Amino acid sequence: MENSPQTSSCCCGSATDADENRRGFLAQAIAVVLGAVALLVPAVVGIVAFLNPLRQKGLAGEFMRLTSLDVLPEDGTPRKFPIIADRTDAWNRFPNEPVGAVFLRRTGEKQQPVAALQVVCPHAGCSVQYQASPEGGKFFCPCHAASFDLAGMRLDKTSPSPRDLDTLEVKIENSDVLVKFQNFETGTKKKVAKA
Amino acid sequence: MKALLGWIDDRSGLVSAARKCMDAPVPGGACCSKVWPCTIVFAFCVQAITGFFLWMFYSPSAQTAWESVYFLQHEVAGGWLLRAVHHYSAHALLVLIGIYLIQTILTGTYRAPRELVFWVAVPMGLVTLGSLLTGDLLAWDQNSYAATKVRVSFLTLIPGIGGGLFKLAAGGPAFGHLTLTRFLAMHIGLFAGSFLALLILHGVLLRRADAAEAATTGKSVPYWPRQAICATIASLIVLAVMFALALQHGVSGDAAGVALGSPADPNPANFYAAARPEWAFLGLYEFSHLFPGEWMILPIFVIPGLLVCLVLAMPWIGRSAAGHIFNVGFTAVVLLAIVVLSIISVAKDRKDEAHQAALATERDQAARVLLLARAPEGIPATGALTLLRNDPLTQGPILFKTHCASCHNHVDADGQGIVAEEPSAPNLYGFASRAWIAGLLDPKRVGGPEYFGNTNLNTMSAQVRETLDELIDEEKEEIESIVVALSAEAQLQSQREADAKDAEKIERGTEMLSDWPDCTSCHKFHDEGRIGDAPDLTGYGSREWIMGIISDPTHKRFYGDSNDRMPAYAEFPDEPAKNTLTAQEIGLLSDWLRGEWYRAEESGVGD
Repeated sequence: MENSPQTSSCCCGSATDADENRRGFLAQAIAVVLGAVALLVPAVVGIVAFLNPLRQKGLAGEFMRLTSLDVLPEDGTPRKFPIIADRTDAWNRFPNEPVGAVFLRRTGEKQQPVAALQVVCPHAGCSVQYQASPEGGKFFCPCHAASFDLAGMRLDKTSPSPRDLDTLEVKIENSDVLVKFQNFETGTKKKVAKA
Repeated sequence: MKALLGWIDDRSGLVSAARKCMDAPVPGGACCSKVWPCTIVFAFCVQAITGFFLWMFYSPSAQTAWESVYFLQHEVAGGWLLRAVHHYSAHALLVLIGIYLIQTILTGTYRAPRELVFWVAVPMGLVTLGSLLTGDLLAWDQNSYAATKVRVSFLTLIPGIGGGLFKLAAGGPAFGHLTLTRFLAMHIGLFAGSFLALLILHGVLLRRADAAEAATTGKSVPYWPRQAICATIASLIVLAVMFALALQHGVSGDAAGVALGSPADPNPANFYAAARPEWAFLGLYEFSHLFPGEWMILPIFVIPGLLVCLVLAMPWIGRSAAGHIFNVGFTAVVLLAIVVLSIISVAKDRKDEAHQAALATERDQAARVLLLARAPEGIPATGALTLLRNDPLTQGPILFKTHCASCHNHVDADGQGIVAEEPSAPNLYGFASRAWIAGLLDPKRVGGPEYFGNTNLNTMSAQVRETLDELIDEEKEEIESIVVALSAEAQLQSQREADAKDAEKIERGTEMLSDWPDCTSCHKFHDEGRIGDAPDLTGYGSREWIMGIISDPTHKRFYGDSNDRMPAYAEFPDEPAKNTLTAQEIGLLSDWLRGEWYRAEESGVGD
């Protein structure tokens, strides 16, 4: 498709140069558009399927019974409890699998006798561990060394975690401890429930 | 022959094209410093060849990824070597591109007319990094799973679209099947594919630039054969290094090749704590620690992005002599920083006891799952993780630490094992074994911290002390029969031979225990005594008995109302949702306490 008048199109041999240029441009534009349509259609079909994960929803937050109140130590030492729920992975459904864990701890307060903390570190999604110590113990994330006090507050001013440990809602019913389990986005300063 | 080649060339032009390639001018003469692009092509060929064969064995799904890699690594003859060569050629490729880029910057050959050659080489390095990151996950073991999850979670740092990007990378809201299929497609289709395209483009551009230089300087030799020999020798050295690395752990045995960890566990509570990135990212990993969490986007995306932009701008900056010196100095500083940060990271981990302990646990778990996968039953369709979840040796200590070790010790005679937060109940190491029962019936020990010393079960201690304190030798022998008989109630596998040998003694001991009012006035034992006052000794320490007492110690068959502080872990047999532990978990705990788990034939009983 060089702009040489000698190789002009076969059907209109008597065209002027200006006509020829205009038609040449038109022909090029048509070729580009048609070629783009031919390639884009299959690409769009693929991309629509590729974007499907955006429509998938994570775990819905519901209250579930974790334990009975008397299992929790009186002195406020935290205990880790697994969250058992049905887990879906694409085409598979796994009934009653551990899908997460929370720390439960007696606070000694009347209003909110039990506090629940997500074990997932808000920094990068590792699992924090409880470290007992004579000074009262703390939560520690082994991945990037973030540490939190028993209430989940960051202990280090330059903590790798952008926010304190995520608290979860707790209800006490007939000495049963119920927790509304949710996962939150990691890395963000604000606590945002995972959609 | 000549006629045939002439005919082919006449129809296709391939022969003269090949000849043109062979005669391509190498400006300045053949020399070893020009071999790097060729070694990059070679390393990529190794990647493509080994990758193709790996692909034939690989099955990307959460239940089959680790399993198929296990099969290749441990069952397929030479499979470990295939995997190891692919692994190390990927790292070799990265190193070679690094050397090539550094050489280009040092010699200033990024300048006109070679800017495009440089601009194609930089993305080749980036694509190789992408290839490493996606390839790493495919083994689906604990380290690759955890490290990749951390990395992909970093996408959420990007304001606004971060959450969506995470889902697109992971193929859904959480890691699973679709993460593997996506990563495999990216690894082969996107990264390997675009690397090949960049490699070809780079070759064409390099040829053109070399030809132009040769034309201006007039000093050049044809590529074939001298430069080709240099390049082949260099490639063979690269191959030798790859094989030296692949064979560093021997040519046979479980450690040969590249280690495969234990299968990835999607349970967030079991998230692998000792996950670390590949060596190439260690510097960045340590660098990110210099920033507080709120600013994590800087070390992860912004600063690396700016660095790449600056490298791409080097041909422009380096137009002046001062600019070139800046480029060289800048490269040296960044490289030094990466090396120093990587060394700091490794040194920190070496000193970190918790990290080392997590590594050791993972090594044990990897060895354990290997043993289980090789058992006659093999790996079930639900995947190798099921093997670990149903393994008393793996789950027992975890369950014990979580639910029992607030009061109970589980330590051997040397003090090794699980130490309670505040030991206030019997040490359960070797529970119901002859040694354990012997201590229970020892007046000096029953009231001690290893048994009922820290509990309010004083009746038993007092009784033992009263009746057994001053025995004559003959009676001591009788007590031994009772110990053996009571221990036989547990029917421990580890004592099966001893129990069979001592059948007579057991019979005698059983009779004595039944006839001894000191015992049966409180305890039920087979047909003697009644339940309600103290634990039933019938089947004492059997799997069923231990499961019963963990489920509900306040049941009248066990401690009834006199139960001390032991919680009931499965009080409601009809409403499993209300129980703290499931029947399966209690079963695992019981099996572990009894020392009963799968052992390979040759290793025999004993841990």
